[in-house]
Parts: sequence; structure tokens; C-alpha cells
Amino acid sequence: MNNKTVLIVDDSLTVRQQVSLTLTSAGYQIVEARDGREGVDVLRARAGIAMVLCDVNMPCMSGLEFLETVKGDAAVPPVPVVMLTTDGSPDLIARAKRAGAKGWIVKPFRTDLLLAAVRRIAGEPG
Amino acid sequence: MPGDSNEARLAELLCQCMAELLAELGVQPEPLTRAPSPPDAGETVAAFSGFGNDELRGSFTFLGPSKLFSRLHPLPSTVTPRDLTDWACELVNQSVGRFRNRLLAYGVKLSLSVPQSALADNLRLASSLQPARSPIAFAIDGMVLEGWLELEIEPSFRLAQSPVAEGAEALLEGSVVLF
Repeated sequence: MNNKTVLIVDDSLTVRQQVSLTLTSAGYQIVEARDGREGVDVLRARAGIAMVLCDVNMPCMSGLEFLETVKGDAAVPPVPVVMLTTDGSPDLIARAKRAGAKGWIVKPFRTDLLLAAVRRIAGEPG
Repeated sequence: MPGDSNEARLAELLCQCMAELLAELGVQPEPLTRAPSPPDAGETVAAFSGFGNDELRGSFTFLGPSKLFSRLHPLPSTVTPRDLTDWACELVNQSVGRFRNRLLAYGVKLSLSVPQSALADNLRLASSLQPARSPIAFAIDGMVLEGWLELEIEPSFRLAQSPVAEGAEALLEGSVVLF
């Protein structure tokens, strides 16, 4: 089986565990990063990431900085990024959309809606 | 003092945000109308986040027994001390994040810091404000969760009485938007 892999970028271990549990139960594989900088490193080092779920407010590199970095980095293969954050500000959502984000989810997330969004963006797990 | 009503209303808004979040976590928080007794001796978790803009700066701190954060943890079977402090950070992040989202409708934009937390024995907090403020407090399953709000408000700041036309409507918690 060739399961789809989702990268979770969040400084909260608990959120990474919550998302991971939701997605692995549905058949996805998970890779984790603790902030935007680690997330960039993962994308540069590893091919075949089907999508990224990324927090916004993180140390070292924020989610929007991560998004803008990977979209402008030729060493990173194109990958859809959906932001997963407590922030519901229209200005920030518009900035993320302009930077190439594929979606925005406001925490705390509903597992059914998160899973539906991942299926829509990454496809069925395989 | 003009700042007093602003402060009281901001505290009330934050209290609502905290209550909403706790309810979504599946507990029934009981608001406490008077300052709670000092926390029981034992392991305590504190988590705090700063926020601010040009006219308003402050912080919000959660304080409660570690057993309470364990009770609120979404994956209780795996909880370690590291998990508790991490989860406390996320709880304060989600409370202040919700507060920021609600304030947008009043035309107030806040930036948030990355939350931090600490685990300690017999930790108690005190207000640095004069006059001292009591914390927002909820009883949950016989334990007390305190929320300490500290604010510095510029004299020019006025919180509108109701949402304003130039305010923005934030995307609600739990929402999913795909582009």
C-alpha cells in the first residue's frame, strides 16, 4: 500500500498528536515538525509529501513565513499547504491565500472536518 | 477611571472565551464569583501568553493543578508532565486566540506571543495591578482553574460598546475554508 504522507508543522506536541491520531486512523502516514524552520528542512529532505498542515504562531519561523519560504524555494517540490491555527483574522487569511495556501482551519478543529479537508486536498490515503 | 470599564469588559470577554473553550473540551465549568481559595498544595501548571497592539498590552495566565490539565487533555491515556505543560500552552493559546478573534469585531487587532508554561509545586500567583484584580476562576470537577489577566491600557483606548462597522468578522473556531 502506498499511503499518502501528511506533514504536520506545529509547536504543540498535543496538537501534533491529535492531528496524527485523526489522520493515521484514516490511513495516512505522518511526518512532524515543531516549527516552520523544521518544516522547511523536512520538505527539502523528503520527497512525496502529499500536503502540509501548518500552525501560524510558532517560534523560530511562523507558519506564514514557512508558507512564503517554501513557495519561493526551488528546492522544495510544490506541495499544498493548509493553515491550522487559532487565528481567524480575515487579513491574515487573505495574506495566506495570496502566498499560495490551499485552506485555513481554525482551532480547535473538528476531526470530521479536518479529515474531509485532508481527503479533498491530499486525496484518499491509498 | 476610563480604563476601568475597558478592563472589566475585556476581562468579561476573555472569561466568555475561556468558558466556551472549556465547554468544547467537554467539561461544565462553573464560574466562581469570588476569589478562590489558594490552590491545594501539590503539582501546579502555569501557562501564559502575551498580547498587544499600540494601545493595549497584556498577558493571560492559566493556573491550575496538574490533575486538572490532565483531566482536560484530549489524549488522557498518554499524559506525561511534558504533555501537561504543552497542553496548558495550547489551552492558553486557544483562549487568547479566541479573545483576539472576538475583539476583531470591535475593531481591535492584537498580536500574540508564543505561549510558555511551567510546572511547579505549590505555585500561587498575585496580581501586579493596583488595585489588585482577582483572577477569572472556574470550578471543574472540584478543582479550580484560574485565569490571570494583566492589562496596560493607553488613555486613548476605548472598547466600543458593541461590534463596529469597520470591525472584521473572524472565522469561527472549528471552521474550515478551502481555497
